[in-house]
Amino acid sequence: MLEVVLRRLFVMPFLLLGIVTATFILAQFTKGNPLVSIIGAKALTNPEVVAAAKKRWGLDRSIPERYVIYVKNLARGDLGVSFRTKQPVLADLAQRLPATLELVICAMIVGAASGLLLGVISAQFHDRAADHAARFIALLGSCLPIYWLGLLVLFLFTVQLPWLPGPGRLDLRAEQIEPVTGFMLVDTLLVDSWNAFVDAALHLVLPALVLGWSVTGIVSRMVRASLLDVMKQDFITMARAKGASATRVLVHHALRNALIPALTILGFTFAYLITGSVLVEAIFSWPGIGSYAVEAARALDYPAITGVTIIGGLGFLIANLLTDIAYAAADPRMRGAAA
Amino acid sequence: MTVAASLKSKSIWPGITLRWSSATLIFALFVIISFIVIAVTIPLWSPYDPVGMAGRRLQPPSALHWCGTDALGRDVLTRALWGTRYSLPIAVFVLGVAVPVGVLLGTAAGFFGGIIDNAVMRLADVTLAFPPVLLAMAIAASLGPGLVNTAVALIIVWWPIYARLMRAQVLNVKKLDHVDAAVIAGAGRFRILFKHIMPLCWSPILVNTTMDVGLVILLASGLSFIGLGAQPPAPEWGQMVAEGASNFYSWWIALAPGMAIFLISISSNFLGDALRDVLDPQVKLPA
Amino acid sequence: MVDVLPSVFLRLKPKFTRVLLAAALVGTLGISAEAKAADDTIVVARAMDINSLDPARAYCDTCQIYLSAVYQPLLTLAADNKTIIPSLAEKWEVSPDVTTFTFNLNPAAKFSDGSPVTGDDVKWTLERLKNVKGSASYLMDSVKSIEVKDPHTVVITTKTPNSELLGILSAPYTGIINSKLASANGANAAEDAATSDTSDTWFLSNSAGSGPFTLESYKADDNLRFKRNDNYWGTKPAAAVVIMKQTADAVTQAQMLGSGTADIAMQIDPDTAKSIQDPNIVFQTIPSFNFVYVAFSPVAEGSPVPLTRDVREAIALAIDYKGAIDFTVGGEGKLQPAAIPNGFPGTSNLPDPETNIEKAKELLAKAGLADGFTLDLTFAAMNVYGIDLSLLAQKLEQDLAKINVKLALKPATFNVWVTDIDKPVPFTIGFFAPDYFGSAQYVQYFGMIPNMPWGTRAGVGKAEGLDGKEELELFNKALAAAIEQQEEAYRALAMKMIDDKIILPLVSPNLVLAHRKDIGGVRYSACCNLPLAEIVKN
Repeated sequence: MLEVVLRRLFVMPFLLLGIVTATFILAQFTKGNPLVSIIGAKALTNPEVVAAAKKRWGLDRSIPERYVIYVKNLARGDLGVSFRTKQPVLADLAQRLPATLELVICAMIVGAASGLLLGVISAQFHDRAADHAARFIALLGSCLPIYWLGLLVLFLFTVQLPWLPGPGRLDLRAEQIEPVTGFMLVDTLLVDSWNAFVDAALHLVLPALVLGWSVTGIVSRMVRASLLDVMKQDFITMARAKGASATRVLVHHALRNALIPALTILGFTFAYLITGSVLVEAIFSWPGIGSYAVEAARALDYPAITGVTIIGGLGFLIANLLTDIAYAAADPRMRGAAA
Repeated sequence: MTVAASLKSKSIWPGITLRWSSATLIFALFVIISFIVIAVTIPLWSPYDPVGMAGRRLQPPSALHWCGTDALGRDVLTRALWGTRYSLPIAVFVLGVAVPVGVLLGTAAGFFGGIIDNAVMRLADVTLAFPPVLLAMAIAASLGPGLVNTAVALIIVWWPIYARLMRAQVLNVKKLDHVDAAVIAGAGRFRILFKHIMPLCWSPILVNTTMDVGLVILLASGLSFIGLGAQPPAPEWGQMVAEGASNFYSWWIALAPGMAIFLISISSNFLGDALRDVLDPQVKLPA
Repeated sequence: MVDVLPSVFLRLKPKFTRVLLAAALVGTLGISAEAKAADDTIVVARAMDINSLDPARAYCDTCQIYLSAVYQPLLTLAADNKTIIPSLAEKWEVSPDVTTFTFNLNPAAKFSDGSPVTGDDVKWTLERLKNVKGSASYLMDSVKSIEVKDPHTVVITTKTPNSELLGILSAPYTGIINSKLASANGANAAEDAATSDTSDTWFLSNSAGSGPFTLESYKADDNLRFKRNDNYWGTKPAAAVVIMKQTADAVTQAQMLGSGTADIAMQIDPDTAKSIQDPNIVFQTIPSFNFVYVAFSPVAEGSPVPLTRDVREAIALAIDYKGAIDFTVGGEGKLQPAAIPNGFPGTSNLPDPETNIEKAKELLAKAGLADGFTLDLTFAAMNVYGIDLSLLAQKLEQDLAKINVKLALKPATFNVWVTDIDKPVPFTIGFFAPDYFGSAQYVQYFGMIPNMPWGTRAGVGKAEGLDGKEELELFNKALAAAIEQQEEAYRALAMKMIDDKIILPLVSPNLVLAHRKDIGGVRYSACCNLPLAEIVKN
């Protein structure tokens, strides 16, 4: 297991370099002009303004030159300055990452909890109506287009039935809460504002449910399969024979053993959630990395695009690493074997 | 052992005895076949012109326009029907390239091991390190938005999944007795690969591919939705939902395309489940 | 202006970018201290397109609102959107040859830190605007010298007669900066300011103006907060705090308005506006100075047939202008005859664009193209001023089919489109909003004059019938004209530009200014967009 981890850690810098390189190669194919986001479209016809802007933003250098400079800066932890926001990319990301993480973590909790519940129901009532119903509910979440579902719930629960607040993380007005952690649920409690906490939580309900539901299917399928697998093993039969109640068998014996393999897919659901969060952030005006990425892609804001990709890649690598560790821990046969 | 068991079960062909499974399978086949039929024949019986005006704009559903009309006065149902011509081909194209490439590289990695294995798997790691949407966005931003570029982006993010899957399969099968026996019997490397290993690797690939049809369609339409995929006036589903969202109060515009994406993706899941039940007894356990 | 990220709704797909909001503003649910603060706070929901908050580098619709709230130019535009009135300068004089402009600063004027506004600040600011070589630096192109006669008198001399300078000096981009404060934070006005001035980051979190507000904070993609300038030398604004909230699309803006989360929204499209029946929301529909046009480049490669004047006129005649307005903005728009917005100098009594399919067909037959041809239409797939350009393109496709011209729609992202039009491409959709009040900026952009953007794209000097001489002459005449003769001079130019059939304005969309019933003083300004200082909450 240690070997797996070390191996992963060892290749990580190379993977990052790969990501940076790939992004730079992509930039070479670009048809658009990133200067647009710096000086505006009309000014593109003004050679003087164009030359000045190119010089200032380093766009007068060749791509290989820019690549070397970028990698050097990256080694020092400098991700450059965004063409679009004119702020350091690292600062931009630091401002937005907590929003995305807060959403993704809440969605993961939703997905894991609902997936677990439905998976247990499915396994418990294997091949009966409840099983089919549970599987269907889980499947619905991953088959409904997330952006369409988002629109529907937004329309239903904020417009038709004004039960929940609309898009955004917090209501406007009144005094600002200075971000400490960037997690609204934490920051509001840090300043002791219970009302603001409730508000932040209410804003999270719809996006987290929609995003979470999209991974319910993955989790419940895994839980169901591994539960069924465990249930027919000898020690369960033994427990039953000893007269343990069905619930006790399920919770104390089967579930505990079935959960470990189910845990291993959390890394996979993370990938899924990040993908989904781009769409969900767009629909719920969530000021996170996903929407930042969409804007950066549109503006050909290379420093921001590369920055987002690096952060996203890093997140993936860490998630994969955790998956490997979980997998290795769960399956003794994997110990020592390379992933 | 998985594979050996699956071989056995194949010969028995357990049949689809459960009512729910048969219902979902019939439903899935019905949806998929009708979508294919629609995609092929729609030019012959299209109710209206998919890109031309069919009536007053923003009409709610009526006898004339079952799913209403959009902001340009086009018939929403007609457009949703034509949408099959975008979403189905893109799924076929993406998986048609990504699966063979992934399978080939995965097989090579698993079978030959060593440098090839390392090279392929590290390449897969780099690619998998890109969140698919981000990569697709970077590609769309560079090459310009469009269905073809969306497909290219999806292929790039999809093949590693199959490479990994296939590699794991090959590694598993390699350990089986009958392969050892073939080696002892002096069979050539490629003969072993093609005769003794590959035939045992197919079922998970098949099940996965079936399920991924829905996933590809979902993701491609998602990219169209944020404006990086199919461009107007193409009646692509994701793009139609986007149009519907800009006319939020005309809810019917997004309904038909949204339902279409849902139907095809749930059908691909049902079909995948059914296939798995047949091919892989690990999940299908005796009650 | 054609901004950095296109004005209004910066997105490819209507609605969907909806990107980014919220965060960090709080509370509402009724704590009394918070409720009190809310009374003096005005929230404007807006798709922001800020590229910079430095007056010398900023260039966008939202920048106009920001700069005119925080900085003050020498002059400004009255509420009638055509009279130039005092701002920092209390009076001014123009020499008869329209080259020497003398400004007397108001001695009462002071910056938000309490220091007085002096002639040195004016000279420094305007020279910096030129030397930083930002997008709005072209405003200073005609300036030869700026001389400080005494602390309150500044003389500006232009290279050639320029009747437009007064309009230019009312543009928010020429807002006067506190030179001492800015210099201390990395700003300078030297020749090499384009690279040596490093103050743009400082300007993102600080302001150095004399306007009614100061910058409290800015979070990109989220919100921009203004605070009342307690040192303001004029009438202090009613609102203590103004928050501009990033709200990418019309539907969300409408919802925020409906729930009272926002007080004002300016980018709600007419279709959405019509679907809202809320007695608490007031909609003001007013003509805007923005417009969307199609344009030809006869010299572009990839043109299937020569785009001669006859062919261009035929296409112009085939377009259903009124229908396009109905389609794209639900009828909430005006026809615009020339590439100068209605109401600007030179636009009185211009002939409206005409639709005449028969005549169009005749012209095409004359050109030997009765059977038609296929023409690429390149455009940015996005929403500008509430107009979905994809929708407009599809409308044109339907229109031109009537004269057998098949339009092949080539949507692109904004960035790609911007580079494409300079290739150039044969046929495209563009859009324009004014940087200040004055018609010269339109002639400079759309005129068939050598080295001007559209003159180059259309191939002045190369394309048949476009020699560029006549328009250049008319333009020089207009620049040298006294203010009262401008109307006539620019009208001659407008007629010539209509006759060129290069730029075909399609729609001048109305602006829907939506606000809660308890909000007053909301108006649209040709120079400054939304003057925040005039807004009152009752």
